[in-house]
Amino acid sequence: MSSWFRASINHEIPLCIRGQLQSLILAALWAKFIAKGVKGMLEGFWISARKVLIPVIACLLMVMNQGALRGAIAADPTSENLINCSIQQGPCTKDLRGMTVTLDILPKPVMAMKDLKFQVTLSGEKKTAAPYIDLGMRGMNMGPNRVELRPVKDNVYEGQGIIVRCSSGRRTWEATVTLPEVGKVEFIFDVIY
Amino acid sequence: MSSTDPLYLVFLVTGFTVGFGHCVGMFGPIVVSLSLNLKGRNVLIPQLLYNAGRVITYALLGGLAGILGSFTILTSSILSLQQGVLIFAGVLVLLMGLAMGGWISFGRIFGDGDSSSTIFSKWFHRLSAARSPIVYLPLGLLLGLLPCGPVYTALIASARAGMEAQTTLQDFFSGMGLMLAFGIGTVPSLLLVGKLAGLGWIRSRHLIYKISSVLMVLVGIYFIIQGIRY
Repeated sequence: MSSWFRASINHEIPLCIRGQLQSLILAALWAKFIAKGVKGMLEGFWISARKVLIPVIACLLMVMNQGALRGAIAADPTSENLINCSIQQGPCTKDLRGMTVTLDILPKPVMAMKDLKFQVTLSGEKKTAAPYIDLGMRGMNMGPNRVELRPVKDNVYEGQGIIVRCSSGRRTWEATVTLPEVGKVEFIFDVIY
Repeated sequence: MSSTDPLYLVFLVTGFTVGFGHCVGMFGPIVVSLSLNLKGRNVLIPQLLYNAGRVITYALLGGLAGILGSFTILTSSILSLQQGVLIFAGVLVLLMGLAMGGWISFGRIFGDGDSSSTIFSKWFHRLSAARSPIVYLPLGLLLGLLPCGPVYTALIASARAGMEAQTTLQDFFSGMGLMLAFGIGTVPSLLLVGKLAGLGWIRSRHLIYKISSVLMVLVGIYFIIQGIRY
C-alpha cells in the first residue's frame, strides 16, 4: 500500500467510521465466539442461541465499544490534542510575522448550528487587506465555509458565520484566519453541540 | 451571469470530493444495505433511483434555504424530522440485516398473520423483494434528509445565494441550483459503492451475506443511537 493511499485513507475516511468498523468487526467476532459457548448451556430450551444470542450480544458489545471509540478519538493526533484556543473562555491570540491576530466568536457559549459573530483584531506595523476565515475540521472535508470580514474599527474586522454540526459527534473545529499577502494562522477549538 | 455561477462548479466539485470521503461514511451503510438486499440482481436502476431521490431532496432544501435566506431558520425547523429520519434509517438497516441473516422473519416483525396486511409491512416487502425498483425513489427522497455536515455547509451557501437574489423565484432557483450541483457531485461515489456491494462479482456469497447481515444489524443500532442522541 503506497504512502499516498495510506494518507488518503487516514484523511478521507472519518475517524468515527474507521473506529466504528473496528468495533463492528470486533463485535461480530466476539458475538459468534460467545454464542457458541452459550449454545451448549441453552440446549433443550426453546430458545435458539444462533437466532437470538448473536444479535443480542452484538448489541451489548456495540454499546460497550462506544466507550473504547471515544478513547480512540481522544487519542487521535488529528483531533482534540491539537486544540490551541479556548474560545469558550474568551478571545484567542496568535503571532503571525510580526503581527498579532486575535479571534473572538460571539455569543458565548460558541454553539454549532447558530448564527455567530466572528471578530478579528490585528495589531502590528504591517497593513493588510480585510482578512477572512475558513471554517473546517481537520482530517474531514466539510465543504467550503468562508466567513468574509469587514472593517468595523481600526484593525478590527467582523463577519457572520455558522459552524455546522458533524453527525459523527466530533466537535473540534479549525478557524483559519487569512491575512492577504501576510499569511495564515490557525485556531483550533471545541464547539458545543 | 450571476455571481453564484462559479459557485455551482465549486459545489459540484465539493460534492464529488466529499462524496468519496464523508458521504461514503454516512450513506455507505445504507447504500450497501440496499445493494445486498437485492441479492445479486441488477443494482444500477435501484441505486440511481435512490440517488435521484436524495438529490431532489437536497435541491428542494436548497430552494427553501434560498427563499428563507437563513440556514438556521431552515435547520431548526427540520431538526426533529432529521432526527426521526436518522432513527428510521437505523431501523431500516437493522431490519434488513435481521431479515437477511435469517434471524427473524417478516412475519415475526410485523405479526404472524398476513405479513403484507399493513402499509409499512407491504412497503418493506416491496423494498425487500424489489419487484418494483421505483420504491427506491421515495426512500432516497426521505433519506436525503439525513443530517450531514457537508450538506449543511452547502445549505449555508444556498441561503447566502438566496440573499443576493432579487426575487423570491430567483431566491429559490439560486439555492436549489447550488444544492443540485452539490448533490449530483456526490452521486458517483455512492453509485460506485452500491455497485461494488452488489456482489455480482463474487462467486461464493453465502459467507459474505452472513457477515454483512451482522454488520448491518450493528450499523442500524449505531444509527438509532446517533438519532436518539442527536
